[in-house]
Amino acid sequence: MTILARLEHWKKQGAISPEQHAHLASLSRGEPFSLFLELNVLLYAGILAFVAGLGWTVATWSKQLGDVLVLTILSTMLAACFWYCLSRAPVWSPAETPAPSPVFDYVLYLGSLVWCVELAYLENRFHVLSGQWDLYLLATAGFFCFLAYRFDNRFVLSLALSSLAGWFGLTISHWPSHQDAAYRQYALLYCLMVGVGGVILQHRGLKPHFFGTYLNVVTNVLFWALLSGVFNRQGYGLWLLALLIVCGASIAWGLTRRQFAFVAYSAVYGYVGVSSILIRGVTDETLVLGYFVISAVAMLVVLVQIGRRFGRPA
Amino acid sequence: MRLYSASSEETLRARKLLVNWADEGLLATEQYQRLKKETVSELRTTNIFLRLVLFLFTLVGVGAGAALFFKVFLSQPLEQTIGIFFLIFAAVCYAGAEVAVSYARLYHYGIEEALAVCSVGFLCAGMQSALFRGSPYSPTPDGVHSLVPAAGALVSLCIWRRFGLWYAFLAAMIFVLFLPGYWTSSHSAQHIVVAVFYAAGLISVAAVRPRHRSDYLDDDFSLVEALLWLGIYLAINLQLSSLNLSAQWWDGGTWNASEFPRPFYWTTWALIWCLPPVVLARGVCQKDRFVIAVGAIVAILTFVSNKPYLGWQRHTWDPMLLGVLLTSVALFIRRWLARGPNGIRHGFTAARLSGKDKHWMNAGSAALGLVSPQSITPSPQPSSSDFRFGGGTSGGGGAGGDF
Repeated sequence: MTILARLEHWKKQGAISPEQHAHLASLSRGEPFSLFLELNVLLYAGILAFVAGLGWTVATWSKQLGDVLVLTILSTMLAACFWYCLSRAPVWSPAETPAPSPVFDYVLYLGSLVWCVELAYLENRFHVLSGQWDLYLLATAGFFCFLAYRFDNRFVLSLALSSLAGWFGLTISHWPSHQDAAYRQYALLYCLMVGVGGVILQHRGLKPHFFGTYLNVVTNVLFWALLSGVFNRQGYGLWLLALLIVCGASIAWGLTRRQFAFVAYSAVYGYVGVSSILIRGVTDETLVLGYFVISAVAMLVVLVQIGRRFGRPA
Repeated sequence: MRLYSASSEETLRARKLLVNWADEGLLATEQYQRLKKETVSELRTTNIFLRLVLFLFTLVGVGAGAALFFKVFLSQPLEQTIGIFFLIFAAVCYAGAEVAVSYARLYHYGIEEALAVCSVGFLCAGMQSALFRGSPYSPTPDGVHSLVPAAGALVSLCIWRRFGLWYAFLAAMIFVLFLPGYWTSSHSAQHIVVAVFYAAGLISVAAVRPRHRSDYLDDDFSLVEALLWLGIYLAINLQLSSLNLSAQWWDGGTWNASEFPRPFYWTTWALIWCLPPVVLARGVCQKDRFVIAVGAIVAILTFVSNKPYLGWQRHTWDPMLLGVLLTSVALFIRRWLARGPNGIRHGFTAARLSGKDKHWMNAGSAALGLVSPQSITPSPQPSSSDFRFGGGTSGGGGAGGDF
């Protein structure tokens, strides 16, 4: 029975009203056909291509164009974007706020990316904070965070989180030698900052719908950091313990909130971490292969059980 | 041919639509609960995340199992012996996939998918080892060797039809790419053969589709048709299907004119301009989301590859012009549709009608926001700049990149 026949059947049963039947049947037939997603993707691709070309042109032709012209153009674009956003933004609300116009989010995104290009140009030409320019990233992260919360924009929130991650990475790159342990500590500090920040903001009811973005970023960075500790030749016990605890927490969160991405994260990262410990130093290939067969089957059994109890599509 | 009954798949489709409609508030909770009971399927499904993880662990288990078998039972086997056992593994994996569906009623569950994929892999490896003693692929004309990709393509097609796995069709298309290399050394002929194969597939799909316009197979055929259009375009666009794509693109792009016969070269250039409007028109007429998307993609690819085709120098501001064009087109279409009665023109609207669209936008915006800064700062041309900024490896839109 096709969906149209089924709708007809439900209408005759009285399960849906004739108005509902007419509406749902037209939706099933694609009448009207929504181009919402396609137009948004086109806008996003357009903004990205434009800023890529802008950055490339500025980098290549700045000498011919001159600093004044380049900075005037970039500043004008920046001012125009933010003027548009500030003049059209609705009154701020801590709850989820729909964009006032279909292009609003993309103008804000354009402004944010132009800000990056201008900042990079300024530092490269005038060396205002020479040697300390990781501070630009910190300031950019803060600025983007403000914009994301003011205008309720996930694009810009992601930019803020990646800028903050860049600041942590650059700060450590100033050290004379790059050590995994130091990187790991900074990654954990990043997770702590972003995670605690996300939790506090959610508890205070400030754009609580952003929490999923925080949680996904923090979970992945945290798993990578813990895995790098587990891969250590020595002193990996604590890291393994921490990995197992985070895996358990991630599974519990995923199952209780029905967010199965977190179950998948813990299954994959946990499997990699535990396997690296169990087969470390084992030279017998038969044993290693046997381990992978048995462990893969065991994981399948556990995941199928999880799937049967919790994992059906909602 | 299909492993699942039409009624089961229709029921699953109805269930998905019910969930969407309930999320959108088009059905009351009581209505949803009542209708949900009427859309119970015996097929066992799971969500996308568990599906991916189950797929991964099945691949790990099967791969390790095959390796363990060779390690334990065959210490130094002949190439042909390995090939024969690969063929046996292929049969076992395929039987496992069938059993998983027939008895456990798995539907796009990851496990049966991985088993089916493994069966194709083992089949090709087994044929290569058993028939040709494992000699690697070489692009010299040798018709017999084409048996391996031909078998891979056929079995992938069977798996697509039997299990309803769209990526098996994509695998079949990729296998077809290898076929002409065994038949002719002429690059022009190879492009034509691939395009002809895809065109034949497209004609077949276009002939079958009208019968399934309102049933569960429409989405499958829609995706397959879109893939075939994309395949045809990529086969005839000599700039994109070239192997040394990145190396030649910024150097004027004149090499292709000499590698291919001039009439062929310029015919393909004309075709890459003709194809996007045809695909877009087909997608719009059929109201087919995937075909419209492919039409837009190939239109953009045509703009991007036109200058290399003509041998013209690319400029740094070309992406800006492309960006302005894309944004303008999107804004024009949105406004034009919005000005129609109730925001609808010719059956199209720019308004959001499905909760899924919002979900995709939210997930996409968070993910793309993280990756886009890395992609907007290309390395500048070394000859034309006395300084550089870019890289963007540390996020922040390139502000954290390599100065």
